[in-house]
Amino acid sequence: MTALLDVDGLTTSFFTRRGEVKSVRGVSFRVAAGETLGIVGESGSGKSVTCMSILRLLKTGGKVVSGRALFEGRDLLALDEDEMSDLRGNAIGMIFQDPMTSLNPTLTVGEQVIETIIRHRPVSRAAARQRAIELFDMVRIPSPEARLRAYPHEFSGGMRQRVMIAIALACEPKLLIADEPTTALDVTIQRQILVLLKELQAKLGMAIILITHDLGIIVEFTDRMLVMYGGQVMEEGLVTAVFRQPAHPYTRGLIAAIPNIADDNGQRLRPIPGSPPDMHDPPPGCPFAPRCPEAMLQCRVPAPMIQAAIGQSSRCWRLHPDAPRPVEQDGRP
Amino acid sequence: MIAYLAQRLALMLATLFAIITLTFFLMHAVPGGPFVSDKMMAPEIAAAINAKFHLDEPLWQQYLAYLGGVFTFDLGPSFKYPGMSVNQMIASGLPTTAKVGLLALLSVIALGVPLGVVAALNRNRWPDTAVMAIATIGVAIPSYVIATLALYVFAMRLKLVPTFGIDDWRGYFLPVFALSGFWLSYVARLTRSSLIETMLTDYMTTARAKGLRPGQILFKHGLRNSLIPLVTVIGPVAANLLTGSFVIEQIFALPGIGRHFVLAITNRDYTAIMGITIFYAVVLMVMILLVDLAYLALDPRIKFGARHP
Amino acid sequence: MTDMPVDPAMWAPAPRDPASLDRIARPNLTYWQDARARLWRNRPAMAAFGFLILLCLAAVFGPSVYSHNYYEQNLQYANVPPAFPTYAVPQGDGSSQEIYFNFGSQKLYLIGADGALGDLVRSSRKDLMRKTQLYTVGDQQVAVDTAKSTLGLSDGKPLEPAGWRWNSLYPLGTDQLGRDELARQLYGARISLAVALVATLVNFTIGVLYGGISGYLGGRVDMVMMRLIEIVSTIPLTLYVILIMVTLASGFSAVILAIGTVYWVDMARIVRGQMLVLKEQDYVAAARSMGASTWRILTRHLLQNTVGPILVTLTMLIPSAIFIESFMSFIGLGVSPPEASWGTLTSAAVETLRTHPYQLALPAGAISLTMFAFNFLGDGLRDALDPRLRS
Repeated sequence: MTALLDVDGLTTSFFTRRGEVKSVRGVSFRVAAGETLGIVGESGSGKSVTCMSILRLLKTGGKVVSGRALFEGRDLLALDEDEMSDLRGNAIGMIFQDPMTSLNPTLTVGEQVIETIIRHRPVSRAAARQRAIELFDMVRIPSPEARLRAYPHEFSGGMRQRVMIAIALACEPKLLIADEPTTALDVTIQRQILVLLKELQAKLGMAIILITHDLGIIVEFTDRMLVMYGGQVMEEGLVTAVFRQPAHPYTRGLIAAIPNIADDNGQRLRPIPGSPPDMHDPPPGCPFAPRCPEAMLQCRVPAPMIQAAIGQSSRCWRLHPDAPRPVEQDGRP
Repeated sequence: MIAYLAQRLALMLATLFAIITLTFFLMHAVPGGPFVSDKMMAPEIAAAINAKFHLDEPLWQQYLAYLGGVFTFDLGPSFKYPGMSVNQMIASGLPTTAKVGLLALLSVIALGVPLGVVAALNRNRWPDTAVMAIATIGVAIPSYVIATLALYVFAMRLKLVPTFGIDDWRGYFLPVFALSGFWLSYVARLTRSSLIETMLTDYMTTARAKGLRPGQILFKHGLRNSLIPLVTVIGPVAANLLTGSFVIEQIFALPGIGRHFVLAITNRDYTAIMGITIFYAVVLMVMILLVDLAYLALDPRIKFGARHP
Repeated sequence: MTDMPVDPAMWAPAPRDPASLDRIARPNLTYWQDARARLWRNRPAMAAFGFLILLCLAAVFGPSVYSHNYYEQNLQYANVPPAFPTYAVPQGDGSSQEIYFNFGSQKLYLIGADGALGDLVRSSRKDLMRKTQLYTVGDQQVAVDTAKSTLGLSDGKPLEPAGWRWNSLYPLGTDQLGRDELARQLYGARISLAVALVATLVNFTIGVLYGGISGYLGGRVDMVMMRLIEIVSTIPLTLYVILIMVTLASGFSAVILAIGTVYWVDMARIVRGQMLVLKEQDYVAAARSMGASTWRILTRHLLQNTVGPILVTLTMLIPSAIFIESFMSFIGLGVSPPEASWGTLTSAAVETLRTHPYQLALPAGAISLTMFAFNFLGDGLRDALDPRLRS
């Protein structure tokens, strides 16, 4: 399979005064053209840092320590800054979490779309403007011509995120990275934005990496999923497969923690006890082991990704052929 | 927009009114001040004072008369110099004060902002350390100390520049340097912290994620936004350059308004103190209004619902 | 990958420690412990703090411990520097008499056997032709060439320099009226610091009351009070201070009154802002719903959370007060002589700058260092109290 994006062994650390924070530790995954990959995890699990590493947009102190990220065969991590900025906003678009702060408050939204087009396409300003109007129309911003001249503060959160999508799609990227694009929005708006993204994907054919902490969004909007914890990939697979039979105890915990109104049989929410590891000094081996109900002595040894089913693998020693069957706990698989 | 302007103007007039009233009644409270009619003074001054301030009339009429004078730009006669009016004093000092003050304001902006940008872009590297060290010194040392030291070293010891006056173009160096030193440092520090803060905002990440060129990112997105807080300090800067000029003109013996003012204070030339204070206040009000307008032009968020043309 | 051999013993369940699950990753310091630790680590701020403590001690106890006082004049010893070059004048009996000639004030002093400044020698004759002045030292005539700044004997033989001596009588020299510089410095520091502290306290009280009332009451009262603040803050405050100083007879209390009633606007704004934020905060509502009284809410919850920003503003206010005081003194509106402050001392030093530059070093240095110290301490406090920096 020739992937659009092939990330291999990505390791990213933040160097702070208190020492090295190992945010991403050997993450590998692939994204095929046109597919939607969901990355799910708690805050601090390294899912955002993974994407920012790929785009080389890490905040000060952040540094990719090792790994490769092949985009159409070119290693993004080895490109020089000029080549990289030619790709950003062009072949790779990005949408951020908070539309309230992601737009420059002192420039018109039109200008912010137009400057992106002019940067990457040899077109006149008038043509770029025309393109911006089309884009606004495409992301369903009403009366696009007039709204081009408005400032971000004159828009609602949902409308601003539409502007962000217009910017990200301005140059018809092959890959769109959406970092929790709906977390800051109202629930009703969330759906609209995601449905819009899906429609635009069907129309333009780009691949999407959708970062979220909401498993509901994963089920509904993505094809494959990556579960991250403690800077590592815990489980990877087709969404249907993972939900049918989660292979990693952490994934099971996440799924069990979803409030299920449909079969509410008087059970309370079941949170995973404990808190995420301190990434200054992550536990040896599986980062989830200290909280894992099925932890074994072997879990202190770093586990490989082990295939669990077709199109599904997980970083858990329980999948090792020699491993004992886990004791059934709490009556739920 | 117009409503906002009207509001600003109203506030400005209220402030001005408050200052005039305050000044008038404070001066009235001075024992032996200008409003005591029976005292020894040059007869022509006594006559002029009486004609101007209506000392034989009740207090409120004196007040109204003075108020009327101020609004017709007549600040009355000097209390100490026969035949001299406060208007003449101000007119004679204005060119000097304006020249030195504007040069200082110019150097604050033209040097302070670039220094701050250089420091912010080289955060925690040597240019940053150097700029911040100089700026810290500049903020901590009072302007009159800088002025005196500069006078001693550059004028008296090294004899590079004249010790007083601005007849020679070199005479501008020290006064402008001493006057702008503090605010130059202040603006450099403010630019640095503002730019660093702006650099960390989400929209700067967006700008990078759009693949914009570094120059575009810095100037169009970064500087524009980080200069907004700077515009707001230009008003206070102008105010302080004006009041700072009291000592600077004193030390370098420049014939400006500040020198007249300090002289008026030492001579207890009450009408001159009053008039020059009000003059300063008006200048500052106008400066602040201009700054407000600039702010309005820079930051679309405070347009009060008005559509961009 | 799955054919990795694993030691069967390792398949045993790992021991679990349920208590460790709720362990919080970083030590749970309170806000103030955290702030103190951060301030403590800030070297420049701590150095500044140490300097300020020493300065305060010197200002409080210095004048009473030190042997000279700040007002006693001794015109004979006016404008003597802290250290001076001496010359040996050979005497007829083979001994020699050490002398010091002060070119700034054109005075010749004998140096005693103990190295201290001795009597002043009057000029016996002026030789206008050779631009020299003649002094009688023992049995010799000393000729001083004021144009070339050289000393010689009357027969034209130049005098040999005998090295530098410290001024043991006045360790830091004297001013133009022969008053001891060190004593005046200590006293000036006392006045400057006292003015700054008292004025800051007055500002603080006004600001906290004004801002607190405005923010707490809110509504129409708040609106009117804020309008007033807007007006006050557009008045150029230096001018206002000058006006008050002109109105009142100058002196210590006038300075305090003028400065103390002017710079409370920032404080009031901060307190009001905090008050408004905190009023909306859930924990205040919670305290109220649990029946806490207004007073208790004010003192316990609101003020405690406002302390940080107030503290920072205070440390920044003190240097401005010192600066304004010295500024006023500099243009002749400060404390009246013989009292001294850093401003009057600097101002006096400027008058004699050409001839006695050493007099500027102390007041200028003292005030600059103090401003530095307060700046560093203020910056350090702000960094220490800003929880956003908690990393």
